[in-house]
Amino acid sequence: MSRAALHLGPVTRLVGELFVLLACASILVPLLVMLGTAFKPNAEMYSPAPWPLNPTLENFERLFDQLPFALQLFNSSVNAIIRVLGQVFTSVLAAYAFARWRFPGRDILFFAVIGAMMVPHQLTMVPIYLLIVNLGWYDTLAALIVPNLVAPFGIFLLRQHFLSLPRELFDAAAVDGASSLQTLWHVSLPLLKPAIGALAIVFFIESWNEYFWPLLVTETARSATVQMGLRQYIDLESSSDFGPLMAGMLIATLPVLAVFFFFQRQVFETFAQTGLKG
Amino acid sequence: MTVSFERAVALPAPGRLARAVSKGRWRNRVAPFAYLAPAMLLLGLFTYWPLLYTFVLSFFRWNLVSPDMQFVGIDNFTGLSDSPMFDAAMRNTAFYVLGSIPLKVLLPIPIAAFLWAMGGGRSFAYKTILFLPTILSFVVVSLVWMYLLNPIVGLTQAVLGSVGIRLPSLLGDSDTALWTILGISTWKIIGFNTILYLAGLASINRDLLDAMRLDGARDSQVFRFLVWPLLTPTTLFVLVATVIFSLQQVFTPIDILTRGGPANATTNLFHMVYIYTFESFNVGLGAAGTTFLFLLILLVTVVKLKLLERWVHYQ
Repeated sequence: MSRAALHLGPVTRLVGELFVLLACASILVPLLVMLGTAFKPNAEMYSPAPWPLNPTLENFERLFDQLPFALQLFNSSVNAIIRVLGQVFTSVLAAYAFARWRFPGRDILFFAVIGAMMVPHQLTMVPIYLLIVNLGWYDTLAALIVPNLVAPFGIFLLRQHFLSLPRELFDAAAVDGASSLQTLWHVSLPLLKPAIGALAIVFFIESWNEYFWPLLVTETARSATVQMGLRQYIDLESSSDFGPLMAGMLIATLPVLAVFFFFQRQVFETFAQTGLKG
Repeated sequence: MTVSFERAVALPAPGRLARAVSKGRWRNRVAPFAYLAPAMLLLGLFTYWPLLYTFVLSFFRWNLVSPDMQFVGIDNFTGLSDSPMFDAAMRNTAFYVLGSIPLKVLLPIPIAAFLWAMGGGRSFAYKTILFLPTILSFVVVSLVWMYLLNPIVGLTQAVLGSVGIRLPSLLGDSDTALWTILGISTWKIIGFNTILYLAGLASINRDLLDAMRLDGARDSQVFRFLVWPLLTPTTLFVLVATVIFSLQQVFTPIDILTRGGPANATTNLFHMVYIYTFESFNVGLGAAGTTFLFLLILLVTVVKLKLLERWVHYQ
């Protein structure tokens, strides 16, 4: 998008600019309301001003009184970090195998990976729920993490990247007597670092924001993720008390916002490719 | 593969060579499966086995907890088609999908075209703002709107109330709740689709554009005869991605904001399946609904995979 601007007619420019500004305002206003309300004292909750006149942290205190929100933040973080590491690990290995070797059953297995991309958790919820309960994992971090250590989309995307590497690299490494693992580690991975990094960022955002899986496999406040914590908050009797809720939403949003602003370009590019996902 | 002369002389005696080669072959034969094992075992255990088991469950009557499972043939499927919740879910799902086409598929096109034409830092800033809802969780998005639209303590009510207007309960009224959820899901996805269109636009050759300009083409003509036709593959792709999004992802706002109500007015197929299974404890009916949904998604995905091949080349 850094190319020179097109010369546009004055009417197009005016209408277009107004339209885009309107769209941006419709997005920014609700977000600023969330930010402002999180710092509004109780006395101002019914005032039409979106911004607090006397900013306060009392909403945050009340939130942490009513929910084990710190623990939920911890759960969300552990869940997201281990998942991202696991998903990258399994995706790299599988993608490498698909790209490097021709072996019996390869196409069927790859088709199974593509197929898994289109199976949302809602389609498998009963057996998964039973499996998790029988494993004794219900309402634990293991239930959140272990079944999600694989990401079919990651295998699909990284395979594309492995295939884009020149075949001679593998051959040269083999001639030099490198094992397949050495080839992967010393030859392929350094070249794929940007792609893997971008994928990890998207995995992090997805796992942090996830709704259905934790809804299915956790129950109590102490093993919930932050998204579940917010859901539990609106089920409390004080649910029309929006101050603490907005405070919680703000905290739940900060990690993904930070990641987005640090890695904006990668997020744009990789998200454009995740349109491929089911 | 080329083997240099020095290497050739350094090769071991024939017997050892044969052993080394066959060992290497054996290794190469096993290696791919070793690399695939972690991913494939997890997919088998947590995706494919549960999927198969769901099909099996759709032929049984079961309440999730009792040891008593009763084979009922296709009763669940006939029961499903007779159920009023299924009717409502089908109607609403159609509404979410069809309503998405003008709002989520077509509306971002002029936005993306304008940002593309504008170029430069300001368009990047706009793009960034438009993209924000994509990275927010759908829980947070739903709750922001829940507050804004709350007819008693919400901010919109406070603003309207100061000039004496009363905000109706948009989510509490079965006529407006469906539109409200469609609107919120549009807010969530519009920036994402804009990015997809921008990726498509980036591949348009600007020389063509300059040529049209030299011939005196107006903005509307450039859009009509250059941008729109060249964007067609992207548009189709966005359409399919949006259909899947609208089938599946609206589960979250439905569950957070209305729990499918009032009186099934906002439920969709995904939410219906969840309610049947975990609130009515009618696992068979839920599984039958799931099987139906699976076939629906399969259909959409086949179309998507056709487009996918083109899209990946495109990037």
